[in-house]
Amino acid sequence: MDFNNPYIHSVVLIVAISVAFLTIMLLCAFTVLLERRVLAFIQGRLGPNRVGYFGVLQPFADFIKTMMKEDLNPDQSTKFVFMLAPMIAIVTAIMAIAVYPFGPLINLPYLGTFPLRIAQFDVALLYVLGVTSVGVYGIALAGWSSNNKYSLMGGLRSAAQMISYELALGLSLIGIILICGTLDIYAIVQQQSGWYGLQWNILYQPLAFILYLIAAIAETNRVPFDLPEAETELVAGFHTEYSSIKFLLFFNAEYINMITVSMLATSLFLGGWNGPGVAQFPLLGVLYFFAKVVFFLFFYVWLRGTLPRFRFDQLMDFGWKFLLPVAILNIVLTATVLFFVG
Amino acid sequence: MTTILFILFAGLAIGCAIAMVSQSNPLYSAISLIGVFVALASLYVTLAAPFIAAVQVIVYAGAIMVLVIFVIMLLNVEHEEPRRKRLRFLVPAAIGMAAVLIGETAFILYSVQATESGVPRTVSNVGLTQSIGVGLFTQYLLPFEITSVLLLMAIVGAMSLARRNTILSSTARVVPGAQVLAMDIDPARAGKETVETETTAEAAHLLGVEFHSNQENGE
Amino acid sequence: MEPQLSWYLALSAILFTIGVVGVIIKRNVIAMFMCIELMLNAVNLTFIAFSSYFQDVTGQLFVFIVMTVAAAEAAVGLGIIITIFRNRETLDVDDASILKL
Repeated sequence: MDFNNPYIHSVVLIVAISVAFLTIMLLCAFTVLLERRVLAFIQGRLGPNRVGYFGVLQPFADFIKTMMKEDLNPDQSTKFVFMLAPMIAIVTAIMAIAVYPFGPLINLPYLGTFPLRIAQFDVALLYVLGVTSVGVYGIALAGWSSNNKYSLMGGLRSAAQMISYELALGLSLIGIILICGTLDIYAIVQQQSGWYGLQWNILYQPLAFILYLIAAIAETNRVPFDLPEAETELVAGFHTEYSSIKFLLFFNAEYINMITVSMLATSLFLGGWNGPGVAQFPLLGVLYFFAKVVFFLFFYVWLRGTLPRFRFDQLMDFGWKFLLPVAILNIVLTATVLFFVG
Repeated sequence: MTTILFILFAGLAIGCAIAMVSQSNPLYSAISLIGVFVALASLYVTLAAPFIAAVQVIVYAGAIMVLVIFVIMLLNVEHEEPRRKRLRFLVPAAIGMAAVLIGETAFILYSVQATESGVPRTVSNVGLTQSIGVGLFTQYLLPFEITSVLLLMAIVGAMSLARRNTILSSTARVVPGAQVLAMDIDPARAGKETVETETTAEAAHLLGVEFHSNQENGE
Repeated sequence: MEPQLSWYLALSAILFTIGVVGVIIKRNVIAMFMCIELMLNAVNLTFIAFSSYFQDVTGQLFVFIVMTVAAAEAAVGLGIIITIFRNRETLDVDDASILKL
């Protein structure tokens, strides 16, 4: 099949985008269920297990229930922004999956070889960072347009937290860029194959891995950094006034953000789709990729069940006074080692 | 195909720009400006400058406009009031001069030039990260270093402007539950460490002011 | 017909003109600041269009520097705006036209 033909190329792209979108939505539903079950087990109770076998249909039941709720809108003049904010949140959350390779080159008998990704371009890592930066607007605008002091405070706090930890996130990835010499995520995953897993970047950049994880947890507003949306503090933060579909969009946007930062962590640090036996059976790569992503999601839920949350000034101190200098230190160390070794 | 993309993104940019100028609520202006930035970033991608497009989204749409939106929300800026009478000529005058400027540009672009201008390439090696890095660190190293000094100046300037002028010195620590005494108030202890007191009564005693407790009449 | 260089330059001129109109018309200091950012972006577009046409990376480096300068200017400018607001309680440029508070 000639992939340079524009029509075939567009059909393949549309199929790829649909499959990836469906996968992400299913994975998001699975994450909702995972969180509720695992959190329940940590807290010594059973989670939802009635709706399907082991509660598998619970997210879909939640979806139907939320659709049936009344869609409240403010009667102030901020209706446009009120409707725009969850759209920005969910669109920027899903846009990030366009650059991740879900598996190696697949060789189908009649259709030829094609790689399992939507797009591959030179500045893929900067694209992911840019999309995450625009995602801050969803939260800030939601907080403001709800016309509610608690929402405004929660929204501004959450936005301030996100932009502070974005810096640490970006800087912690520069070590990886120095080692791999490229911003292209597909190429970074390619460079981690072989050598029985000893080429994975987590072995070369352990400090960056820890920094990235901490910054990613803060970026997605999860415990222990979830003060802006804590139920005991600010009612529900920036999404207090949202109901029905718009709340569902925010709720899902948070989980899809979790999924995308987990995908970035597996692609950059844990070798993406690499694993034993991928050279013979390329489809195993897809399995390994999703296994690693689910491991990170489990780690997120584990932290939620275990840790208390930071106070807001502790949070900002930690981001600016600890993570940022350590990230810069990591860059300097990496550059020095590369200068003397490579 | 490139023509369709250009017309789409150019239309989006011009539409958002006109929306930005005509809105009275500054927050809607800010959102329209974000639309302009994203449209321009898409145009940069079609002009084979992906790195600059990504940097535009990260820096302009993701950082500068977040700062502007924070300031608008914190200062709680309202709608603009209607203009005073003696300045009401400004809007028609500005639009008239803009029309003249655009007319002049159209005249220059479509009448003065003799041949068709060239086509900017869509795919090239020039916009890749590597060539930008090479250029920044070899030929244009001095502007790069000067911009880092400029950013440091901006950080210091912004921090010194936004700080509230208080009587607490920068070495004073505020500890929840205890009281902090600023040494500027008590000249006897000027230059020494801050004093932490346990209760408000003790702090008042040290300051030499009267203190009436709220709990005199029982808990 | 592919988009010509002149199309990009015309778009840049139109955006710049809209920015100038905004600076003249607007009374809110923050809105005027945003129109200045629009003008800077129009110039960035010109640089990138020429860089792509002449296959020279200098245009894109200049845009990089312009973006950095715009970020620095945004930080300090908004600090000044906040200070003006604290002292005058208004963001109206017409009211701030004399030095007396």
